[in-house]
Amino acid sequence: MRRPRFSLVAVLAAGALLTSACAEETPGGGGGGGGQTEPDDLLAEIQSRGTLRVATDPQYPPQSSLNDETGEWEGFDIDVATEIANRMGVEIEFITPGWEQIIAGSWQDRWDVSVGSMTVTPERDEVLHFATPYYYTPAAIAVREEDAATLTDVATDFDGATIGLCGGCTYEFYLDKTLDIPGEEIEFVIDDAEVRTYNTDVPAVKDLEVGRLDAAISSLTVLRGAQEEGSPIEIVGNVFHEPLSVAVDRSAALDPTRFVEELDRIVQEMHADGTLIALSEKWFGEDLSTKS
Amino acid sequence: MEVEKQIGGAGEIRPPGVPDEDLSRWQRAEVASLRVPFRVKLALVWLGVITVLGIMFVLVRFDLGWMAEHARFIFLGIPFTLLISVAAIILAVILAVLGSLARLSRNPIAFGVSGFYVSFFRGTPLIVQMFLIYAGLAQIGGNLRTMGYAWGELLILDSLLAGILALGLNYGAYMTEIFRAGIQSVAHGQAEAAQAIGMTYGQMMRRVILPQAVRVIIPPTGNEFIAMLKDSALVSFLGTVVSQMELFRRAQLVGIADFRPFEALILAAGMYWALTTVFTFFQQRLERRLSRGYVRAGSFQLGGGAAGHAG
Repeated sequence: MRRPRFSLVAVLAAGALLTSACAEETPGGGGGGGGQTEPDDLLAEIQSRGTLRVATDPQYPPQSSLNDETGEWEGFDIDVATEIANRMGVEIEFITPGWEQIIAGSWQDRWDVSVGSMTVTPERDEVLHFATPYYYTPAAIAVREEDAATLTDVATDFDGATIGLCGGCTYEFYLDKTLDIPGEEIEFVIDDAEVRTYNTDVPAVKDLEVGRLDAAISSLTVLRGAQEEGSPIEIVGNVFHEPLSVAVDRSAALDPTRFVEELDRIVQEMHADGTLIALSEKWFGEDLSTKS
Repeated sequence: MEVEKQIGGAGEIRPPGVPDEDLSRWQRAEVASLRVPFRVKLALVWLGVITVLGIMFVLVRFDLGWMAEHARFIFLGIPFTLLISVAAIILAVILAVLGSLARLSRNPIAFGVSGFYVSFFRGTPLIVQMFLIYAGLAQIGGNLRTMGYAWGELLILDSLLAGILALGLNYGAYMTEIFRAGIQSVAHGQAEAAQAIGMTYGQMMRRVILPQAVRVIIPPTGNEFIAMLKDSALVSFLGTVVSQMELFRRAQLVGIADFRPFEALILAAGMYWALTTVFTFFQQRLERRLSRGYVRAGSFQLGGGAAGHAG
């Protein structure tokens, strides 16, 4: 009866130590909160902090994924984000919430900006500010190699088909026929598809490979990436084009207006001086920086 | 005699000495089987299981080169899996001690709050709780901050902390019930005796009741820890950053990056299995040690022991 009393106290003490140690880490994670003069807008806050916090969903090769040799994120979006931070003269830090967290807005200032190949839609525009698009990708539909001979026409061969895609992505709205991209003409040619949603694009491609799906819709870049890694799929054709933009939370605690203007200016500059063309060719093997 | 024969049927084992010709084929097999030692049979079963797994492994056509190349990277997630599990189980133990005492108290506030706590955290899925703490709590914090309360910032947890908090709260609720049962397992006379010699409530709990309850509490707590090792994978859905990635997230992301999700997941599965096997071994030893004083000398002890839902 002596020993147990001691060990219980020890467990409690160890627990108290550990929880207090954890609690101390909290403010650092939240960022900001320095005692000096409070910047009154988001741009000033980022500049005084010296770090741009960028949200990216690293389940999206070749735009954003993990390089396990360097232990860092890599991809087109990662390079674009890094270049934006360079041009702002600040360091970069990547935060990696799930895609749903990013598109939902209400970021609670956990990060400043999303550089995540996000399509501008009216719904997203209600919660997020979008800068000038930094590139354009076609959304494409893919089938298994053995079906490529029979499923050839996007307009007629996919009515009623079982199609996989990432949930909450524009592809889902396309099949729902609710997709609205400002400045884009969209023809909804696929009727009554049976939609299967996944948390990101790659699992849909994998389910297509094993035959649970008749087809998968994803970005042309993702589908080409899968093919390069040996995935036995064929790309049938494009279904629509989407402009992709950098986004900032409308509900940010500090006024984001000047920050969005700055992002606009930097993206236009990167278009003008050929940086985006170079990065696009590096990651996609072709220039997607303009509407083709 | 006629009736007895009909009831007997084919499944009955005859006493030794009955001639073989009288036995059905099944019964002869059973008798033959009795001569093979149990260990030999067990070895055969394992051989069968391994053969089936081996055939599946060949059929699935894994990219073994890729697996060999990336195993190390995934393996390096183990420290974070352990950190998350240990931190969360410590939090859970603290909550369970408080919760169980509150469940047994006559104070309406303590009883009511702990009742709500146990009911809510046992009654909703862990993954939902994780998102509520990561996103919902942050929203409250953000609103408090806009209202001018700077401390609202503290509610905006990063993904690792939110995950640990959710795991701790969830397991704390289950363990509250384990601890309550442990405390109630201590004989009534003990409390009465403690009161009779003038101990206060605190003294009685600390010196008499809890030390005896610990013996009952430790084995299921070990089980909870082993279950926690696996549930720590859920933290990855909150999107931990590179420097804090545990086993599953490393496997998931490296698998997605190279379009080899299954290869990555099977590596992770093997590592989780190894981890839980090691901890199950230690738990069994601890359990045996704790029950030492309660086992009668020379009495037969069943092997195995720790099973539960952690297995």
